[in-house]
This record gives sequence, C-alpha cells and structure tokens, in this order.
Amino acid sequence: MDKNKVCPGKILSIARREYNGLLLEKTFVLSLLVQLFIASFSAFLVVGLTSFYDPMALQGMQMKESKIGVIGDGEGELFKLMKISDLEPVKYADFGEAYNDFYDREIDAIIHIPNETAEGNNLIDLDIYLPRSELKATIVSLQLKKPLEKFEQSVRSIRTARLDGYTPLNIQIMRWDKGTSSSKLEFIYVALLPLLVFTPAFISGGLVIDMITEEFERKTLDLLLASPVSLLDVVGGKTLVATAISPVQSLAWMLLLGLNGIGINNFTQILLIVAIVSLILVVVGSIIAALCRERGTAQLFYSLVLILLFMSSYLYTNSPLNLVSRLALDSIGYVEAFTWIAGYMCLAVLLLWMLTSIVEKEHMKI
Amino acid sequence: MSITRFRHCAGYISINIINTLYISMSGWYTVAKWEFLRSGMKFSRRAVFAILFTLLLLAAVSYAVSFTGMNLDQKIYSVFSASPQLNSIIEGDERFYVLNDDGHDPDITIVEDRAYLSGTKKSVAAADALEKVFIDHRETVLSSYNDINNSHPVWVTIHDLDRPESFQVLGGATQQAGQVSDAENENADVAGDYNGNPAAAKRTSQIVSPEELEDLDNSGSKTLFERQTIATPSNFTPPIPFTAILYSFLFIFPIYFVSQFYSSSIMEERTNRRCELLLMAPLRSRDIVLGKSIPYVLVAMVLLSVISLYIERPSDIHELRTSLAMIGVIFPVLLLFFSLSFIAAIFSRSFKELTFSMVFFSVIVSGYVFFPAMFANVHAVSSISPMTLMVNLIEEGNISFGKYVFSTLPFYLVALSIYGFGTAIFREEDLFSQKTITEKAIDCMELFLAVPLGSVFTLSIVSIPFVYMAQLMLIVMLFNLPLPYSIIVMIILAALVEEIAKSIGIYTIMKRGLKSVNLKTAGMLALLSGGGFFFGEKLVSVITLAPIASSAFGSVMTMGTLLLIPLLLHVTTTMITSLGVYFTGPRYYVFFLVVATGVHTIYNTYLLRGLLFG
Repeated sequence: MDKNKVCPGKILSIARREYNGLLLEKTFVLSLLVQLFIASFSAFLVVGLTSFYDPMALQGMQMKESKIGVIGDGEGELFKLMKISDLEPVKYADFGEAYNDFYDREIDAIIHIPNETAEGNNLIDLDIYLPRSELKATIVSLQLKKPLEKFEQSVRSIRTARLDGYTPLNIQIMRWDKGTSSSKLEFIYVALLPLLVFTPAFISGGLVIDMITEEFERKTLDLLLASPVSLLDVVGGKTLVATAISPVQSLAWMLLLGLNGIGINNFTQILLIVAIVSLILVVVGSIIAALCRERGTAQLFYSLVLILLFMSSYLYTNSPLNLVSRLALDSIGYVEAFTWIAGYMCLAVLLLWMLTSIVEKEHMKI
Repeated sequence: MSITRFRHCAGYISINIINTLYISMSGWYTVAKWEFLRSGMKFSRRAVFAILFTLLLLAAVSYAVSFTGMNLDQKIYSVFSASPQLNSIIEGDERFYVLNDDGHDPDITIVEDRAYLSGTKKSVAAADALEKVFIDHRETVLSSYNDINNSHPVWVTIHDLDRPESFQVLGGATQQAGQVSDAENENADVAGDYNGNPAAAKRTSQIVSPEELEDLDNSGSKTLFERQTIATPSNFTPPIPFTAILYSFLFIFPIYFVSQFYSSSIMEERTNRRCELLLMAPLRSRDIVLGKSIPYVLVAMVLLSVISLYIERPSDIHELRTSLAMIGVIFPVLLLFFSLSFIAAIFSRSFKELTFSMVFFSVIVSGYVFFPAMFANVHAVSSISPMTLMVNLIEEGNISFGKYVFSTLPFYLVALSIYGFGTAIFREEDLFSQKTITEKAIDCMELFLAVPLGSVFTLSIVSIPFVYMAQLMLIVMLFNLPLPYSIIVMIILAALVEEIAKSIGIYTIMKRGLKSVNLKTAGMLALLSGGGFFFGEKLVSVITLAPIASSAFGSVMTMGTLLLIPLLLHVTTTMITSLGVYFTGPRYYVFFLVVATGVHTIYNTYLLRGLLFG
C-alpha cells in the first residue's frame, strides 16, 4: 500500500477523531468564552471611545454645563463664545477669588484671558487651570475646545490677511445632522470587526500546533503510523478540522454584530477571506509544528510569525484586516476585492503545497 | 543528554540524603539549576536560527510600521471632486480615496466650494473625517509662514491645580438626584468615567516663551506619556485616554510569554513522564515545584525590571525607588499569572486544553488588571486593580502602603493558595493519569481536608480570597450590561460563587466518603462551613472592602452589616446543600447548589431592594 498517497477518507476519519476530541474536552467552550469576553470588552471600548471623542453624541447622557471662572478680559469675543457653548463662564476680579471657589468646587476650571485684541500685534496667551487628576479636567477641556477654536479662527480671519498670499481653503461641508463621529465608525469597522472575525483564525493556528506536537511528544504518532495512515493524512486531518471551525465562529460574530445594529456588507466575501486566512494560519502552524515537534518552541515561533504578519498588514492597503474593513463598509470595487482574494488564495495554495512536501519529507525521517 | 544530566543530579542528591535540612535547602536549588540549563539548551540550533531570523524580520517590519500611522483604515471613504489640488490634499489622508468617474457612488462629492454627502452613515463619518483633514491642512499651511503672531495668534497654556480629591462627589450627586434616577445617574457616571485618566501628566507646567514653540504643532517629539501643556486651540487635545492599558500591556506581555514557557515545561514533565524520576528522588514535591518555578519567575522579573526602568528612566534615588515600587506592584500579578499557569498545566489533559485555559486565564486576569485601572483617579472601583497603583506611581511617584495592601493582598493570597493546592496534587496519581478536571479539583479538597488544620471551617476561610476575586472579576465582566440587569446577574452569580465555596468541602467529604456521615454530622458540617465563611467574610470586609463599599457593586458584596442574620443565612444555605446531598447522594449536588443559590439570591435581593426597585 502506498503510504505517501493522500487519501481523503483517512483524512476525514482523522478529522472526525480530532473533532470529537475537541468536543470531549470542552476546550471549545473555553475558547468561545474568551471570544465573548473580548467582544464584551470591545463593546466597552466603543462606549469609552465615543464618550471620549464625542461626549455629546452619547445618548442618554446629558453633560452638565461646566462652570468656569474667568479672570481678565470679561467682555471680549472669547467670553461670548464660551457663553453660547456648553460652558457657563463666571467673572472674577482676581485669581485668588477664583481659586477660592475652585477649591470649594463651585467652579471646575479657571481661565485667564489677557487684554489683547484681534487687531493687535501681540500673541494672545490664555492660561487655563484645570483640576489635577480629575475627570472634570477632561470634560472641561472638551467643552473648551470648540469656543477656543472659534476664537482662534475669528482672530485669524483678521490677522492672516497680513500674511503674504494666504488664501484659506474654504469648503463648506453640507451635512444635515451631526450623527456618528468618524472615530466611532472607524473603531467599529477598522478595529473591532477585523479583530473579532480573525480571532478564531488566530486560535485555530495555535490549536493545530497543539494537536500535532501532542502526537509527537506523547509518542502516539508511532501508533497512528502503524495503522494504514500516513503522516500526511494525520496532519491533513488536523489541518482540516482547525481550518473548518474558524469561519463558523466568525459567522457567529458577524451575525451578533448584525443583531447589534452594525450593518456588514459583502458577507460572503468576508467569510471567504476569513476562511482563506484561517487556512493560511493553520497551514503555517502545521508547518511549524511538523518541523519543531515540540510545543513550547512551536508556539513561540507561531506567535512570533503571527505578530509579524499582523505588523506587516499595517504596511499596505488591502491587507486581510483592511480588506475586511473595506468590504464591510462597501468601500471597495468588486474587481479589486476579487483580485486580492485570489491573491491570498494563491498564497494559501502555495503554503499548502509546501506543507505537503515538508510533511512527506518528515515522514521519511520517522 | 538531559537524562544523563538528570541522573547526575539525582545521584548528587542521594549522597546528601542524611542531612534532610540540607536537602530541603539545596533540593529546589538543584531542580532550579537543572531547569535553567535544560531550557537554555532546549532549542535546537535550527530553531534558534529560525527564531532569531523571525525576530530580525519583526524588527525590520516594526521599524517600517513606525513610519506609518499605525492604522488599518486605508481607503475606507471615497470622495469625488474635480479639483486636482483638492484631491491631493484629501489623498494625503490615507482614509480617503478619490474616485475618478461616477461609476461607484462616492461618500462625498465636492462641487466647487461645497461638499455634499451621499447620506449614508458612512458618509456622515466621512464628512467628520474630511473636516479634520481640512483643519490639518490649514494648520500645515499656516505653519509654513514664519510669522507666528499672525499665523498662530492664540496660545493656550494648561496648568494643573490641586484641590481636595473626593470620590464622594460622584456618589453624592447620585444620592441627591433621588432613587428613581439612580440608575440613570449611575450610567452617566459610568459613561463619563470611561474618559480615562484625566491627568497623565507628570510634568508640571512650565513657562516657555511662545517664540520657542514654533515647532510645537508637530507634537511628534512628545513622548506618549507626557501631556502637552502649551498648544494652539486647534492642536489642543484632551489627555490621552487609556494610558493605563498601554502600561498594562507593556508589563503583561513578558509575563504572558514567560508563563507560556513555564506551563509548557510543567506539562512536558507530565507528557514525557520525566517527572516520575524527579518524584522518586528524595525530594519533596514542594522542592520540585519551587525549583521548576523560580527560574521562570527570575527571568520574568528581569524583563519587568528592564521595562520599569525604561518607563521611569530613573535619574536619582527617589525615581529609582519608584521603579522598584513598580516591580513591587507588578509582582503579585506575575505570581497570580504563574500560579494559574501552574494549575492549568497540572489540570489539563492535553496541550489544546492547556492552550485554551492559558488564553482564558490571561484574558480574564488582564481584564481584571487593566479594566478598573481605566478609572484611575475617577472611580473608587479602580482601586481594586494593582495597575491603578501603577498609574499613580507614574503620575505621582508614590503610593500609600494601605492601597498597596488593598489591591495586592487578594493576588498574593489566591496565588499562594493555588500553589498550595497545586503542590498537594503534584504526585504521580494526579500528574500521570487522565483524571477529569473536577476529579483533580476534588483531590485538592480532599488533601486539604486531610492536613492537620484542614476542616470545612478552614476551607471556607481559605476560599474567601478566591470568592472575593471571582466576584470582582464578575464586576469587571458585567460592567457593560445595562445597569439594573448587571446588578441582578451580579447578585445571582455572586451568590452562586459563595455557595460553591461553602459546599465544596462538604461535597468532597460525602463523595469520597472521608467520614461516616449521619444526619447530625451533615448538619454540623454545614454549621462549620457556613460559620467559617461568615468569619472570613467579616474579616475581609473589615480589612479591605471599606474603600469600595460605597458603590453599588460594593454593597452587593459587603451586604449586611447586621451580624446574626448573615450568619444564619450562610449556615442555612449550606445546610440546604449539605442535607440535600446527604439524603439524595452526591449526584444531585448541582441541584441543591442551585436551590441554595436561589435562597441566597432572594435574601440579597431583599437587602438591595432599595437599589433595585427604588
């Protein structure tokens, strides 16, 4: 019997054995729990980021107007700007008086406005005193930013005329509602979604290493190979299981996100990418495991490769992570998307071929 | 090769068998030395070469990445405009791509001096991003003029002012608002709290003349952890959020990597049955465990020291002390991580199980460690995490001893107890058998009950730090459920955790038949176990819980300042499980556990009715 020939039936029976093992040990449940934890954590991050960049956008959260003490010029432009924004400016004669109220928590910040006019020539130096290590400091800074920017623009509108050949870029953005800020949308589609759909793939890669090195370390491989299966069948079966379970989990995540009102476009293409990437990672894991044969080294090596791949996806457009974001947002043409998917597919096939030849070589050594 | 080395060691040890004290001193040392040498040579030359090559590649890629914006948001918004000049400005931001024809609907269409949105959610976000692009462009153009008085006429200087810190302010506002809006306010608090720590500043504001600040708009030179103090309004950014996460990651990564190797090494002893030889040597299991752990602890400590020195860059004695304090703060976290890896390596039946449980534990512990730290300086709950101390250390340079004890004591206690249990079952029948996890856990209990002071009473007391940490982890995990539900789930799960802790000893006794149990002893056991738990709980609440007792979650845990009723409750619920199992057999343990939890929950809900139903 030719032991080097790949036999689908044997691969499937190995795969079934591994699959049952997974169910038996309930390790799968742990992995799902971990992912659930990451998801709930990310949900927290979404809330956190939104409230940070855009506190007013949070529903049900009414930010109270912060009282802010003003010393110096209490008649000028900035004072008026603060008044019509989310702030409640209170005039004080001197710093000592303001500090007393600040200390008693009557006001949350003090601003000193110098007596300079926009028409003048001097810099306008504003001093802002914020409570150290308090949440209030962040809130007040956020509320102050708008009036300060408006103030800067109004001063600039007079002063920049003195600059040679400066024409401001004047494009009016026609928006009818102040809805989602870009940071929230970007966080969901650029960070959260790729992280969630690819986490199962990352885990699968580690899983296949455990499955293979375990056979080597426990010396159970010799027993297996005594039966009419080849090393290639064994590795193939394990690779198959590890790859197959990942898109299923990703699908669940995408459905969950959908239930939470996060619309995802191009469902099938994203799943296809996830499947290809899991195949790539699992095959890489199998190659490493077949070569190292020892769990500690193999896992270390795999995590290094994983970090490497992760880092390199920052380097170019249409990395798998970016591709998923763009597809989900429907920001990519079909031709471009399919070209890249085909490219990754080729990489996966290439790696698979490498795995086959490496495993066959390793089989000779046993 | 390692086997011969081992035989050498074993021989060396057996010569010294006469002097037991000497052995107990040198026993762990020998194992440690061996472990150290072995793991050093574990890698084949080929593996070392491959790993070095990958590291080199990684360094190169990281270097290249550091020039990019570290974003994966390339080309997510599309723009159409007729002006090439405008196009080049917009394409300067990698998030945008310019469409040349109208084949695909663009998110934003710019006609002359107006930008129209396509109306989707994405286009609104795109408009937001576009506005920032224009502002950035304006600032860049203005910065090119060498006339700061006219290009950047307004400057803002931020000063930090001290005033008495009070956590009561948040809580106080909640109470004044009345019971009905309690929940809303609490939500608002929570949402507001997410803003992270407001002051990541260590630097006090300095007076610098504006002339020196021309290049300040490019704040790239600023280190991440320093807060800007002088800026123009357009560049004026609120403090960086989530710095605590960055710190935690910096410290937790090395711990995670080293603990991977640690657990691998212990697991290997089991799969290869190599440890059998060690166990036959005249070594106590304590020595083996110590010897196998210490090298890894040392390696991790060295890495952590390097990191703390990197963050603090001490220049004088005082700052060196801060660095040392950082290591002191992270040490209990390391210990907990290692103890969990240790027990995971002993409990798991396969590598897969080990990997999963390691990932699980690391995620949970990291969550526990850095989630509350985000509320540093904001909410009292933050003080449960050692990482909050880290944030305080970085900001202020010192921490109080009381705070240190409060947040690290549970880590120490849990880690040491886990090591205690793990060492107890570090024996052949547990290491080399395919026992299930529950059976091994029951083994731990059985061995504990067999030691001189071991009884269900002391077991309940020992379980207190576990219960405490489990409940705090629940807080962490339930934090983002909407408020009334999170409290309800918290009450149920907290009760379940306590009931498990109280009844596990009794279950072990009955399941394993450690004592002949009759109706009277079953009752006595429940009394002892419930009493022990009550005793320990009161001890904890007196010592540590005071700081967070004021928050809603805290009150779930400290409930009942009345003394007799809680005692009665603990004994009653334990009695339910104990007698239930006595009459029906250990198989129905889970059922009675649920019943006991139900009773416990009802009691807790009654106590918290004000909070829940207004």
